[in-house]
Amino acid sequence: MTTFDIVLGSFLVSALRSATPLVFVLVGETLVQRTGSINLGVEGQMLVGAMAGYGAAALWGDPWLGLVAGAVAGMLLSSVHGLLTLAARANQFASGLAVWMLGFGLSAYYGAGLVGRKIEGFGTWRGAGPDSVPVLGPIVAGMTPTVLLALVVAPAVAWWFWRTRTGLVWRAVGESPEAARAAGLRPIRVRLQAILLGGLLSGLGGAALSVDHTRTWAEGMTAGRGLVAVGLVIVARWNPWWVLPTALLFGGAEALALRLQTADAGVSAHLLLTLPYITSLAVLTLTCLRDRGQAAPAGLRAVMDR
Amino acid sequence: MHLQLRSIAKRFGAILAVDGVDLDVDGGEVLALLGENGAGKSTLMKLLYGVHRPDAGQVTIDGRATRIDSPRDAMASGIGMVFQQFSVIPALTVRENLALAHASTPWFTGRGARRATAGLAPLAAIAPDVPMDARVSSLSVGQMQLVELAKALQQDPRLLILDEPTAVLGDDEVRRLWSLIRGFATRGLAVVLITHKLADVAACADRVAVMRRGRVVASGAARDFDATRLLRTMVGERDLAAPSTAPLPADAPTRVWIRGLSARGPGSRIDGVDLRIARGEVLGIAGVSGHGQDVLADACAGVLSPDAGEVIVDGETLFAPRQRAPRAGRVAYIPEQPIRNAVAPDLPLALNLHLDRLHTLPAIPDRRRMEADARALLTRFDVRPADPTMAAGRLSGGNLQKLVAARELCGAPALVVASHPTMGLDLAASAFLYHQLFALAQAGSAVLWISEDLDDLLHHAHRIAVLHRGRIAGVVPADQRHRQTIGAWMTGHADAEAA
Repeated sequence: MTTFDIVLGSFLVSALRSATPLVFVLVGETLVQRTGSINLGVEGQMLVGAMAGYGAAALWGDPWLGLVAGAVAGMLLSSVHGLLTLAARANQFASGLAVWMLGFGLSAYYGAGLVGRKIEGFGTWRGAGPDSVPVLGPIVAGMTPTVLLALVVAPAVAWWFWRTRTGLVWRAVGESPEAARAAGLRPIRVRLQAILLGGLLSGLGGAALSVDHTRTWAEGMTAGRGLVAVGLVIVARWNPWWVLPTALLFGGAEALALRLQTADAGVSAHLLLTLPYITSLAVLTLTCLRDRGQAAPAGLRAVMDR
Repeated sequence: MHLQLRSIAKRFGAILAVDGVDLDVDGGEVLALLGENGAGKSTLMKLLYGVHRPDAGQVTIDGRATRIDSPRDAMASGIGMVFQQFSVIPALTVRENLALAHASTPWFTGRGARRATAGLAPLAAIAPDVPMDARVSSLSVGQMQLVELAKALQQDPRLLILDEPTAVLGDDEVRRLWSLIRGFATRGLAVVLITHKLADVAACADRVAVMRRGRVVASGAARDFDATRLLRTMVGERDLAAPSTAPLPADAPTRVWIRGLSARGPGSRIDGVDLRIARGEVLGIAGVSGHGQDVLADACAGVLSPDAGEVIVDGETLFAPRQRAPRAGRVAYIPEQPIRNAVAPDLPLALNLHLDRLHTLPAIPDRRRMEADARALLTRFDVRPADPTMAAGRLSGGNLQKLVAARELCGAPALVVASHPTMGLDLAASAFLYHQLFALAQAGSAVLWISEDLDDLLHHAHRIAVLHRGRIAGVVPADQRHRQTIGAWMTGHADAEAA
């Protein structure tokens, strides 16, 4: 096995691990936008999920419980956004920003005692023997449960979305709530379900970040990943099938930035850390130039046009 | 089924859209619900289908008082509706649209809902030629309507409401729909047909009910209402003189030259269109829809930037590639689908009437003066209600069309581009609009008039140009003798002229 294989393999692993939290969040926000609304609160939901997940893992010593707690916390916070926009008919952007700030505040307050605490993370399968296989070996060795979960969740949701009856109903609601209502469906209920599922997935993403990826908790640790997800939905063309590659693009850029940092490339670390965001921005621009937003569900375009 | 409506009322803001309506419908009969634009026909039926909720009144089905709060409730009570603005979803395939509402669609539908077959029977019965796996957006309007109809039939309704189903259809499609409607009645369905075409009434109605300003003003057996009586009941005692164009002097100078115009729009394009329109001339554009009519209209009005060619008005190039002069005052444009293309639905009528000349308003516009101007214009074009402070989105379809006509036709434009200007208008309003259009021509404007109604074109235009696949297939004087030639050009048989 050459050094190149090891380097490539381990790079792919770290790209995958960086991308994992984003996959969950991106799947969730894709579903939210596909049913015709935009939830800017995902950043706050991620933070709450990360804090709750880390707290649960620290308290009970089980990272699985951490993931569950994070998902539940994310969903609870998203229910605030759901009730504000759907029951009280608040403006969805204002409500999203409020939920973001609320999540930031809540997680900072309750997470203050968690800073610096150690948790028991997931183990990896290192030493199981596949190290000798080129490229693939390091990848398999570097897998963690959340990475595998992300690799399963994204295609499963995509399959559900395009091949099942409920998926069809969700797509119809996003394309035209009026037509869906005229067909006897309940658009408000579907949107609420999507927002709650989106909250659950972004909470799970946050927990995957704190419990598995970084194994620390710090105030505001999501560093804009939630907001990036809102934009990356466009890159993924509102299609759950495209979520995995899109998240990998961001994860790859982040892994590359870290590599360059440790390799002491002579560029400021702060500048290097903007690499994933610059990549996202560039790809976003290219995508939008190409299809001019035409891939968006019609219900969502109506929201934007207003 | 026996449906009984008693004292149904609905108010939208200051407008009483439906004002204490009583109506009865029985199984096995077709009731034609007639009335002018904004008379409250559509609103009444949307109340029945649960799209809106009535403020007062009672719905009784087969002797049982029924509360209908949503389309879901309406379906459960056996009511189906075919909307004027379709409720099929363009981004989904035909199959997906039909699977969406059908109760027995399996949980796992497969790719493109291919495993959902239960809901397809009605469509197969009424239109076996519609491609099941095509996106609805790629279908013709007539096909879309059949899908819409099949979707309503899926629920096995006992009462079927059709909202102006013939407004957008060609002759053959209309005849097919008539026989379908008669078939439904024979099978025992109650059918409510909202329309303002007298031909619909003659072809398939058993009973008629006429609405005016939110009330049912007359009803009875269809055979007791001849065309004259129907018209009189619909419009009241107003004058309905047939509009006409003045003959064009042989030496009328060219006013507008559309020179080698090529442009691309979503779905269609035009290629090297070259037309001259004389001062005072009405030039009709005929053609099967989707052959570039919308692109031609947009390009001539300067909405769409052309790839090549130019639009020359009074010797001055107004629109060319990378050149777009302001059209206000010189080019009037009545586009297709005014709600999407020509009004700001959330703004009041007064502002909508000034939309094309906002930059000429003073920095602090005098609201009272704008509203006074608007009120005069709204009254002149009979927009109902003539309330300048009301949001444009509140108007009915026909009144929106009148609103756009009021804004565009009130000045003295050099070129008028009118794309299906009477679509959705009732007889009186159509006649009025033609009057305005032809009065402008007589005053010296050049009129480019796009229509699918060949009879109207032959009757009113001076010359007719036929658009086929984005090119001008030919231009002839508007005369019944050229009907065959025009028909041949429309279908792409360029050589039929010689035959």
